[in-house]
Amino acid sequence: MANKENTKKSGSVMVVGGGIAGIQSSLDLAESGFKVYLLEESPAIGGTMAQLDKTFPTNDCAMCVISPKLVGAGRHLNIELITNAEVVGLSGEAGNFTVQVKKKPRYVDEDKCTGCGACTQNCPVVNVLQMAEEPDIQLSTESLLKVTPILDKYRGQKGNLMPILQQINQTFNYLPADVLTYISIELDVRLSDIYNIASFYNSFSLTPRGRHTIKICMGTTCYVKGGERLYNKVRDEFGIENGETSEDMRFTIESVACLGCCGLAPAIMVDDEVYGKVKVSNLMKILEKYK
Amino acid sequence: MINIPDIKAFKKLRNELTGGRDPNRRSVCVCGGSACIATGSLGLIELFKNEFKDHGIEDEIDILVTGCHGFCEKGPLVVIRPEGIFYPMVKKENVPDIVRETIIKGNAIESLLYTDPMTDEKIVYEHDVPFYKKQKRLVLGNNGLIDPMVIKDYISVGGYGAFANALDSMTPDKVIEMVIDSGLKGRGGGGFLTGLKWKLCKNAKGEIKNIVCNADEGDPGAYMDRSILEGNPHSVIEGMLIGGLAITASMGYIYVRTEYPLAIQRLKLAIEQAREFGLIGNNIFGTDYSFDIEIREGSGAFVCGEETSLMHSIEGLSPEPSQRPPFPTESGLWGNPTNINNVETWAVIPLIIGKGSKYFASIGTETSKGTKIFSLVGKINNSGLVEVPMGISLGEIINGIGGGIPDGKKFKAVQTGGPSGGCIPASLMDIPVDYEKLAEVGSIMGSGGMVVMDEDTCVVDIAKYFLTFTNDESCGKCTSCRDGSESMLNILTRISEGKGKPEDIDLLIELGEAITDASQCGLGQTLSNPVLSTIKYFREEYNAHILDKKCPAHVCKELVNYSIDSEKCIGCGVCLRNCSVGAITGNIKEAHFIDSDKCTKCGICREVCKFNAVLVE
Repeated sequence: MANKENTKKSGSVMVVGGGIAGIQSSLDLAESGFKVYLLEESPAIGGTMAQLDKTFPTNDCAMCVISPKLVGAGRHLNIELITNAEVVGLSGEAGNFTVQVKKKPRYVDEDKCTGCGACTQNCPVVNVLQMAEEPDIQLSTESLLKVTPILDKYRGQKGNLMPILQQINQTFNYLPADVLTYISIELDVRLSDIYNIASFYNSFSLTPRGRHTIKICMGTTCYVKGGERLYNKVRDEFGIENGETSEDMRFTIESVACLGCCGLAPAIMVDDEVYGKVKVSNLMKILEKYK
Repeated sequence: MINIPDIKAFKKLRNELTGGRDPNRRSVCVCGGSACIATGSLGLIELFKNEFKDHGIEDEIDILVTGCHGFCEKGPLVVIRPEGIFYPMVKKENVPDIVRETIIKGNAIESLLYTDPMTDEKIVYEHDVPFYKKQKRLVLGNNGLIDPMVIKDYISVGGYGAFANALDSMTPDKVIEMVIDSGLKGRGGGGFLTGLKWKLCKNAKGEIKNIVCNADEGDPGAYMDRSILEGNPHSVIEGMLIGGLAITASMGYIYVRTEYPLAIQRLKLAIEQAREFGLIGNNIFGTDYSFDIEIREGSGAFVCGEETSLMHSIEGLSPEPSQRPPFPTESGLWGNPTNINNVETWAVIPLIIGKGSKYFASIGTETSKGTKIFSLVGKINNSGLVEVPMGISLGEIINGIGGGIPDGKKFKAVQTGGPSGGCIPASLMDIPVDYEKLAEVGSIMGSGGMVVMDEDTCVVDIAKYFLTFTNDESCGKCTSCRDGSESMLNILTRISEGKGKPEDIDLLIELGEAITDASQCGLGQTLSNPVLSTIKYFREEYNAHILDKKCPAHVCKELVNYSIDSEKCIGCGVCLRNCSVGAITGNIKEAHFIDSDKCTKCGICREVCKFNAVLVE
């Protein structure tokens, strides 16, 4: 008997997550006659889309799309919102689940609150800054001696982050993590912004690089004339892929878009020197002189 | 600092420098472009100087390290002026002969002269070489005459004259009017009317205005901007000075890609020299025009060639493109009206102001005016930079100037416009080259790259190559570009591996069109062009890959096999020694054999074999 009870389809659905996808599913399910429990971790439904200005690819206004759905989900008779809550346990099987929900206290009586907003405006502690803990970074004297002149040179200039990163990349031959944290504090730029830029450009490296850099041109002309074979040769010879450094720190290989030496295709550049009309058979001879 | 109080004094200095130049003075011009340096041109200079000393003629002869002459394939280039005797591929041991025979006696040395690959004739003078003969070198012309590191050289061939005139007697509106009348269109790819852009920027609201020179020449296969910056940096500075005057901007930025160290070095020097002459700075020549130029280096990101990305990069932000409008002319660098043009466009400006807009407009076609520099590269005899009037036919460029395809191979297609462009097949060689015609056949002018392909080039492989490039360089902001390029690349890879399905071609077309519609910047909007244009003109080659599992050009590794022709092989053993996987076996003086299980199809055996005994099928 008890078994039979358990296999009975309950006819209600729980949607976990009150973002745009969750809201739309709840609305569709509710419209088709299901009782929907819409569970959301944060105090309000809406999710990321409610924070966006425009949406891809049509550039439609995000709020214009989502607000009718928010209201719809809020007052649909078949939808019960459970906000500020999370799922802690799940049992049963398809058609008859039992969900354990942990609802966090709201400290406000939901039945009486009309959402007028008066309390938020009058709360005296609302504007207290929540400072992130500043990482304490100790640079070695050696690094400090290298970084300080670079920072001093560009401090206060508009758009100085790029030249600073370029010089650090040049001085250290890569971008050391502790130096990046240090300049983030010194320049008052978010570390995430620095990493965004540091990881975007091909010529920045976040790992130490070899004594010499082999740039293999993969421009159209060099490609048509066999540049890829040069790349494969170096790759196989040193066992490293694009952007990696050989174990003895001798070479870093990079495939670059175009060296602008198309008249001499296929071309490679070792450090600052360009070699043209390179053949697979004489490639290793060229590299021999770089120790 | 050289004291030049006003424009009059500057004009006087110009006249002195121009007059002081003896057109008949003997000089040796050695090309100092990147390509010629790579083949050892700088080593020749010392040798020439020593030879002059030995013969006691060092005072009678100038030796110039000039900018790029354009004929990069044949470097190092040496030209003896005033006659213009032309020696390509000069080696160190040739120098004493050149000095003794040509410079002292005035005779050309037959064995060192250039041989025309079409007719096998020896050619003495630079202006008779077919590569140069059919060009119209307005922008590049001075490259071979002056030392780019000496500002006086530039002034002595008329440099900064246009700027002095504009500063002296033209209003900003007059300058803009001249640029509009000339019909100049942006040389960077978009093809927007330059004068109109200037006007928009000048009339935009804002106290501070900026101009930017886009020298982030990222298109693989194009290097004219590099050549101009290395060979004649002052022409770009002069163009920007005129632009600043017209737009009433006081600050100019030059954004150069980091892959061009020599260009950055020469540009820095040129700016320093211009500052010394009072051409850059506050109150130039006592007028109230102040202008300064700053160099910003890129760090290797293709998308930074897109104008909004480039400005974000200068500002130190993440270089993702942003939605236009607002256009940079309204709200650009730090929210101020900003006018962006590329290097070649700026270098044309002094010419228009100096020689007049009518002169410029008289060259070219109805809709595309003036000359355009192309980098003619790939499977072609005379590769290098060519400057031709707009409207010249593609065939004329490839056969007339380029000297046709080497090794008697068949011409297949030419790829123009880089990763945003398309492939134009041999059957369309008669079309005139201008912005509209190229767009009509599914390609673009772009920045002027022309990569020539012969029968050994596989179009599926080329399409795959460009997609790999754009997929790698996509900044990732738009889903359509980021994921769409990935999907197209997967399909192309599948086809090149012989696993393609018949419906793949239509799928590629559908995907390509969707990506074009849904992407924000030029990179995404155009990335499918190489695929769509190759499908349009070479559909049977795609079919061969998909249906017959064959690569007609023998390029796609999974679809070819290497073997040795036992009749041609003499058993020299060169291939055996060079094979890095040990796939070749055979005894000396007996025909060798390739073990296809071990062979990685790297092609090195074919490259080293002197007897054409390695076959690819």
